[in-house]
Amino acid sequence: MQDTIVEKVLKHPKYAELVQRRTRVSMAFFAVALVIYSGFILTLAYMPEVFAQPLGPDWTMSVGVLTGILVVFSAVIMISLYVYFSNKIFDPLLDAIVRDVE
Amino acid sequence: MKKFLLSTALLSMIAQPAFAATGQANTSAIVMFLVFIAGTMVITWWAARKTQTTSDFYTAGGGITGFQNGLAIAGDYISAASFLGIAGMVYVSGFDGIIYAIGFLFGWPVVMFLVAERLRNLGRFNFADVTAFRLEQTPMRILAASASLLIIALYLIAQMVGAGKLIVLLFGLEYKVAVVIIGTLMMIYVFFGGMTATTWVQIIKAVLMLAGGTLLAALVLMAFNWNPDAMLAEAVKVHPSGAELMAPGAAVSSNPLNALSLGLALAFGTAGLPHILMRFFTVSSAKEARKSVIWASSFIGYFYLLTFIIGFGAIALLVRHPEFYNNLDLSAGSNNMLTALIGGTNMAAVHLSNAVGGSLLLGFLAAVTFATIVAVVAGLALAGAAAIAHDLYANVIARGRSTEKQEMRISKISTLVLGVLAVLLGIVFEDQNVAFMVGLAFAIAASANFPVLVLSISWRGCTTRGATIGGFLGLTFATLWVVLSKTVWVDVFGNAEPISPFPNPGIFSIPLAFFSIWFFSVTDKSARAVKERDAFTALTVRSQTGIGRSGAQDH
Repeated sequence: MQDTIVEKVLKHPKYAELVQRRTRVSMAFFAVALVIYSGFILTLAYMPEVFAQPLGPDWTMSVGVLTGILVVFSAVIMISLYVYFSNKIFDPLLDAIVRDVE
Repeated sequence: MKKFLLSTALLSMIAQPAFAATGQANTSAIVMFLVFIAGTMVITWWAARKTQTTSDFYTAGGGITGFQNGLAIAGDYISAASFLGIAGMVYVSGFDGIIYAIGFLFGWPVVMFLVAERLRNLGRFNFADVTAFRLEQTPMRILAASASLLIIALYLIAQMVGAGKLIVLLFGLEYKVAVVIIGTLMMIYVFFGGMTATTWVQIIKAVLMLAGGTLLAALVLMAFNWNPDAMLAEAVKVHPSGAELMAPGAAVSSNPLNALSLGLALAFGTAGLPHILMRFFTVSSAKEARKSVIWASSFIGYFYLLTFIIGFGAIALLVRHPEFYNNLDLSAGSNNMLTALIGGTNMAAVHLSNAVGGSLLLGFLAAVTFATIVAVVAGLALAGAAAIAHDLYANVIARGRSTEKQEMRISKISTLVLGVLAVLLGIVFEDQNVAFMVGLAFAIAASANFPVLVLSISWRGCTTRGATIGGFLGLTFATLWVVLSKTVWVDVFGNAEPISPFPNPGIFSIPLAFFSIWFFSVTDKSARAVKERDAFTALTVRSQTGIGRSGAQDH
């Protein structure tokens, strides 16, 4: 019985589309997250002088501190965008499959 | 028994003279903490009536919403160690404290993009359900339980010791009394109220902590006319490191590989922490799991920003209050603002609350910190009970033939054993250096649980042999490396020279685990391996669609 449901899902035209698009999107997001994070860590480890500079002549805040704050925001923004994509693209596909199969 | 334990705990607290670290009586802290205990006891009583089945006990019956779960995760994640610890690190070395916070936070994109939704679709109670989904039960459960129990033990010790010392300072209690109170409260929550009580304790505590942190940061910024740069300028002016406060510090530049290695463990460790992963089974669907992550990461990110303000604010403002120091000397060359702070630099945020908000805010923050510790420890105990009762007992020893009632009994016994063990370990490790323990817990999570979890759900070729060997290699390598490094080999065992070149193993142990899972999987020609690769199709259907998912809609 379990097999027939699996087979039904596999045969569903939208299933391949769902898996492919979702994998592509989540991998892309993961890659961006990795680039941002490793960029931050590599810069502070190997080019600390870049982060040490103040933002401007009248500033105390350094490039590194501001970057750190922006990196915090970037994590939340990426996750929000991913959820937006999921709600807009993947959920309708998924609902169609579940409706047809169950 | 419940009433007896409770009254003992309360009595012992009231009986003690309650003096805060600063020497002031702090009744407000005690009153607020007692209110917290009373409130959570009512919740536990309510939750106990709803906790009948194993599904109730481990996952609150899957009836938590994404928003609630997000708050609870934030509550779990922002432990006293990470709040006071990060604020303290910023106080000591400015920018370097930010690095830790960002590492912890970047665990969340990893969780979201790689595991969260699929985890919910594949498992019932804990992440071992997922790794054992198509691989063989016994080895996968033993691997998951070994790594999880080790992680939980390390975390528990770190929390208990840190917490005990903190409470000594904040409430003037004796260390042993503090540890016993934490252990007792934890046992009551988990034993009677299971995941439902634990979740609500986390939620309440997260709300209190976010409110307290917001107020504290706002008061700090207000002191500088809402100008963060003025606060930083003042901090740079008084701190012994001066302008270097704004730059990556000596700890990083002396060994960039170590910084990189730490960064990897922090970012990938979150997706392997058993008590965090377990929270994803408390929601009803993958969609709610997604919502949990977005709320959790928003709250955590927001809280870390507050922590930066609190840390830098502490530098700028505390020096105006010599009463928080032992003989504060600010003259150049002999500036002792780091070493003279009463209670050590982890107390920076606590003193700051007193400085900007008076004893009422100090009391509030102290009470919230105590609550935080109890909540985090309860979450750990629950994950530990699941590893013992659900993985080792129900699926390995009884081979899936135990009844729900038996599993429930074992998990409750495990809770009590873990509670007693936590208290004993807390007392044994009182004077030990436990600073390395959370780092090691993250390293093991990133080198054993994370690779096994990710490859078993996203790579067809993964087999039981590969996952078992790779997982245990990652676990062993990470542990040995840390034991042989400066933090344990020299600082704890007193040897002259470390054997590992630097303390953090991540940069080697994580790739080692991935490589060996790959290698021992592709060379696995057994019949079992063929079956496991075939089963990947069914796993993918379930993980992508959630069709056939179990455990979620019981209620």
